[in-house]
Amino acid sequence: MFFTQLWDLFMAFTRASNLGFGGGPAVIPLIKIEVVERYHWLTNAQFADALAVGNALPGPIATKLAGYVGYQVSGWLGVLVALIGTILPTVLAVVLLMGFLRKYTNSPILKGMLKGVRPVVIVLIAQTAFEMGSGSFPNLMTWGVALATVVSLNWLKLHPALIIAISMVFGLLVFR
Amino acid sequence: MLKKLWDLFIAFTRASNLGFGGGPSLVPLIKVETVDRYQWLDNEEFADALAIGNALPGPIATILAAYIGYKVAGWLGVLAALLGTVVPTVFIVVLLGSLIVKHSNSPELKAMLMAVRPVVVILVAQTAYDMGKKSFPGYSSWGIAVVTVALLYLVDIHPAFIIIAAMLFGWAAYGRTRKEKVRN
Repeated sequence: MFFTQLWDLFMAFTRASNLGFGGGPAVIPLIKIEVVERYHWLTNAQFADALAVGNALPGPIATKLAGYVGYQVSGWLGVLVALIGTILPTVLAVVLLMGFLRKYTNSPILKGMLKGVRPVVIVLIAQTAFEMGSGSFPNLMTWGVALATVVSLNWLKLHPALIIAISMVFGLLVFR
Repeated sequence: MLKKLWDLFIAFTRASNLGFGGGPSLVPLIKVETVDRYQWLDNEEFADALAIGNALPGPIATILAAYIGYKVAGWLGVLAALLGTVVPTVFIVVLLGSLIVKHSNSPELKAMLMAVRPVVVILVAQTAYDMGKKSFPGYSSWGIAVVTVALLYLVDIHPAFIIIAAMLFGWAAYGRTRKEKVRN
């Protein structure tokens, strides 16, 4: 049972990481599909919590999510396995195929493939926001928080980590 | 050798722990450490490494760590650079995550999470918007987006198939037309 869990973690993060073209943010929707929809390790709302913690801290987002989910599913071994799943395949590809990659990363074929996949990545990220939204807006005040976030990001240019911190203090004062 | 490994570890720890906003926000910080400070590679090679990072799936920061770590100190260098990139923040994330689970019934935590969830939804939506601004150069890109939405909601297909199909489409539609322009 424990080993199947570790194997599932490994496979979930390997799949998510190796289909996510466009860096960490492109991996988020794929992690959500594995973690929320396929294995039901977290709910949509819990996944939003994981993203909140991840966005409040520095460093790559994909490995933070792997650590967060891995620990909740199988403790520290789960962290290790989810991390290995996230980074090992691409790390091996980089080191073993370095010469090949340096030669072909600027080829028009690869550029064309990446251009083709980018709209898909964006739709997936937008869909993730949309789905996490169900359950995240239980009352009118939470819509106010969302509106304030849009303003803070686009006009006040506040840092996302700062907005997360402010919203938590706000929640503590208003929603308790 | 040990000095090199330690430098790699510290360089990637610094870059990773000062970069808020996920992997792509770490790229300039990694450049400062590896090109400007330690001069392990020049600007041109860093651009090559970044191109590889952008072409491969998965997190960009760990791909850069692997590339530069291997160049500086072989497989041990890969390990040192990856540990520096990943371990400190993962440690903090796990601790915060276990606190959230442990106190999931506390009214204080519930209130905080209730306020933070809409923020996260907007942050993810904003990521889609920001990436989208640069990703729709022509009508065919919009076509791909519309087809993706249709497939996701009407057919309920796994995104893996859509991703692979879009890459093949990109190869056929954008990959070959520009072939003649390549100088080599």
